[in-house]
Amino acid sequence: MREKIAIGTAAAAAALLANNLYQMFMVLPDEALQGAIYRILFFHAPAALVGMIGYFVALTFSILYLSSKNFLHDSLAASVVEVSLVFSVVNLVTGSIWARVIWGIWWTWDARLTSALVCVLIFFGYLVMRRAIEEPTQRARLSSALCIFGCVDVVIVYKSIDWFRTQHPGPVLDFRTGGGKMDPAMAHIFWLNFLAILLVAVALVLVRTRQESTAREIDSLRRLAHTAA
Amino acid sequence: MDARNFTFMFYGFLAAWLIVMLYVIVLARRGARLKKELDAVKKIASHPEQHADRR
Amino acid sequence: MKTIRHALLIARKDLALELRTKESLNAAGAFAIVILVLFSFAFEETEQIKEIGGGLLWLVFAFAGALIFNRSFARELPNDCLDTLLASPLSPASLVTGKALANFVMLLAMELISIVIFGIFFNVNWTRHIGELSLVFALGTWGISILGAVFGALTVNLRLRELMLPIIIYPLLVPLLIAAIELTKLLLSNQSMTPNDFLWTKLLIVFDVVFTALAMLLADTILVN
Repeated sequence: MREKIAIGTAAAAAALLANNLYQMFMVLPDEALQGAIYRILFFHAPAALVGMIGYFVALTFSILYLSSKNFLHDSLAASVVEVSLVFSVVNLVTGSIWARVIWGIWWTWDARLTSALVCVLIFFGYLVMRRAIEEPTQRARLSSALCIFGCVDVVIVYKSIDWFRTQHPGPVLDFRTGGGKMDPAMAHIFWLNFLAILLVAVALVLVRTRQESTAREIDSLRRLAHTAA
Repeated sequence: MDARNFTFMFYGFLAAWLIVMLYVIVLARRGARLKKELDAVKKIASHPEQHADRR
Repeated sequence: MKTIRHALLIARKDLALELRTKESLNAAGAFAIVILVLFSFAFEETEQIKEIGGGLLWLVFAFAGALIFNRSFARELPNDCLDTLLASPLSPASLVTGKALANFVMLLAMELISIVIFGIFFNVNWTRHIGELSLVFALGTWGISILGAVFGALTVNLRLRELMLPIIIYPLLVPLLIAAIELTKLLLSNQSMTPNDFLWTKLLIVFDVVFTALAMLLADTILVN
């Protein structure tokens, strides 16, 4: 059943992506200043959003785990962090390629870039730590604590954006600016593509969570065999 | 369509999907490994006496 | 109130132990001096040192801090001292805070040694804004210490403990280090603070308060099985 949901989600994402790509290349006009490359925005920003949302979803699952001690919550938190990390890396790499063209450099220590990178490092540490702990209860407990610390830190890290002079383009989406910065047709495709990427992420999380459950099953069977022998 | 910066846009899209694909491959390989492990462990669990020496 | 009293008790115990063995302070102090000497090869002793001095110092503090934090809880592992401490009436929150206090004092001592040596080696007069500088050092050091204590506790039973701690705490310390470096740079180059710079002080305070509260809240989760 869970597999079918994952496949269904992935299929929906694929269909939506195909439609979005068609719209992006065949329907939407080019941006006045940047030429074709502005289209990277349709992947760059949704990837960042999906990553960000993911970290806070993981925070929710971590808190849930601490109150319920249900391992499914821990598996979900770990899976969501891992998938979010993938999309954060997509965000950094696509941003870097865009910056090479528009700014003429691959990387700059602008606040928003820095905080995105720091965010990746924090949750990379989370995954590294999970691998270092064998005992499932201890792993779940300590990872949940680390996830809470990480998410609180991310908020503080991002707060510093306003305090540094920033080179990154300012907000263009309506919910940040109150409307009018982005062409409605572009915004429409943007949100559709956000949905598509979100669906891809959900499908990946479902697959990953299933693997975590399998790993736990293997673990408990091993123990069973151990005590039986 | 405006051809300016088209190559870099292509690189950007390629990079984005390459990373996701790479992750999918990692996931698939991990899934296959887990499945194999699960089968092996299930076998051991159902006949513990035959495998007692293996552990 | 009881938590604070217990925390002070733990801190006193750790500091007494440290005074007797001096293992953390010797290691951290020696490390700091070596790094400062190495920096002298990397950078010319000119005006530019005032610009980067803040960064250098805080990197030294963060790196040397990791040496202290690694010992902080690991010191309790032999003879099952940690389990005994947890079984005692002390709350985990007071244990973490006490460890953080001990870390704080040790790190400050190490910082004092470092900045004196820094002043001599690089010919920087750091005493002109000593009041503000002490405030920045105290705020920054407390933030590093509390995170060091929390993650010292979190990693104490892990394999690769010494590796895991820096991987986890350095990214978390980024906002604190940015603020501390900015302020130290300012004070070393003898400029006065503008309202804009108070933001960095505020950031330090917020960081300290938030993570101290979080540490006390999660101490149970981290330490008790």
